[in-house]
Amino acid sequence: MIEIRNLHKSFGSLEVLKGIDMTLERGKVLAIIGPSGSGKTTLLRCFNLLEVPDRGILTVGKQTLDFEAGKKVREKEAVALRKQTGMVFQSFNLFPHQTAIENIMEAQVTVQKKSKSDSRQRAAELLAKVGLADKAEFYPHQLSGGQQQRIAIARAMAVDPEVLLFDEPTSALDPQLVGEVLKVIKQLAADGMTMIIVTHEMKFAADVADRVILMDGGVIIEEGPPENVLENPQSARAIQFLNRLASYEI
Amino acid sequence: MTDRQIEILIDSLLPLLKAGVVFTIPLALVSFALGLIVAVATALARLSTIRVLRLVARFYVWIIRGTPLLVQLFIIFYGLPYAGITLDPFIASVIGFTLSVGAYGSEIVRAAILSIHKGQWEAAYSIGMTRWQALRRVILPQAARVAIPPLGSSFISLVKDTSLAATILYMEMFRVAQQISAAKYEPLLIYSAAGAIYLLFCSVLSWLQNITEKRLARYSAS
Repeated sequence: MIEIRNLHKSFGSLEVLKGIDMTLERGKVLAIIGPSGSGKTTLLRCFNLLEVPDRGILTVGKQTLDFEAGKKVREKEAVALRKQTGMVFQSFNLFPHQTAIENIMEAQVTVQKKSKSDSRQRAAELLAKVGLADKAEFYPHQLSGGQQQRIAIARAMAVDPEVLLFDEPTSALDPQLVGEVLKVIKQLAADGMTMIIVTHEMKFAADVADRVILMDGGVIIEEGPPENVLENPQSARAIQFLNRLASYEI
Repeated sequence: MTDRQIEILIDSLLPLLKAGVVFTIPLALVSFALGLIVAVATALARLSTIRVLRLVARFYVWIIRGTPLLVQLFIIFYGLPYAGITLDPFIASVIGFTLSVGAYGSEIVRAAILSIHKGQWEAAYSIGMTRWQALRRVILPQAARVAIPPLGSSFISLVKDTSLAATILYMEMFRVAQQISAAKYEPLLIYSAAGAIYLLFCSVLSWLQNITEKRLARYSAS
């Protein structure tokens, strides 16, 4: 289970998260949507401490962290949390000096201290799962954006995380490459992977998510099943945001 | 060129080349290898989260970059005996050149580390790495590729700078040239010959540098 309580985060004098509460059960998919600057990416990055919250409580699996202003998170705690989370970045961030399969082996060998042969076997399985078994020995720059992002998903999966975090996974892709990445994510959802996805793809969110959170100005303004949030929003700001998106899509 | 000059040139080429291969190159290699270790350690200290380490590293770089190498060598070789530390010319030279390579090299290594995109750190952290693991497995291998061309240039400079060791009585190539020149009264000829051998060494090194860069270009940094 993933849970946050009263999470606050500021950058200097700018308060980006103004007290966020949410719970996500195991095996469920949560989509976070909202205009840029709404705090959705910052919220996502709090789940694996790429941003350290100023205040609040974060629970991932069996681990709970209590944040207070001025208190530093120890590296050991951060590492323990990150071993339970995997992240897929907007710009892939594959390791350019390693081949596809080495990228997927890296966490197993360096972090989990698994043997090279076990790691390679697991990495090969994951490559097959994202449909790139034949690209094992390719370097990232030899692959398309869509292929790189699928490798990045396999890399994030390699630590067997409790939850996968996606930060706008298709925003940096050419339109014709978006589909192959979304297909992989949908497959993971069908396999019962717990996922939190920050996205601009409304149709995809409606399709894959069990729940949707709509954020604006550092707070959650609408929350619920996708059909409620996306098709029948209650607040004026939510209606305005979704209308603006709809007008673009036409 | 007179017959006498040709004879002197032929007689001196071998001793010069020998001094270059036996003394100049080893001095440069040892100093550079040790200097690289100092450079990486200093760069990491400057990027450390521990304030004292950062200050010590900055102080060291400030001193070495702000004083002439010749003065440093004189302090180490002629000065330290008055503080009770007497070093032979080779050791004194190695210390001087190592400190120099360490200071200048640390700036190169530091810049190379800082040039690696923040997303690489984040990706490393996101798969559960500690700061040290991220550095060792993700950042330094990429930074090495950035740092190799400028470090290659430092090595070439170092080979030439080893001629300064002549002033602290180390029998490297330039000191041998000085002795031959003094004995034969042919400074133009002998120093030109020594210069030509330095040029030969540096040309070979430039060529090696190109090969290394090409090998490292197997992947393109994103």
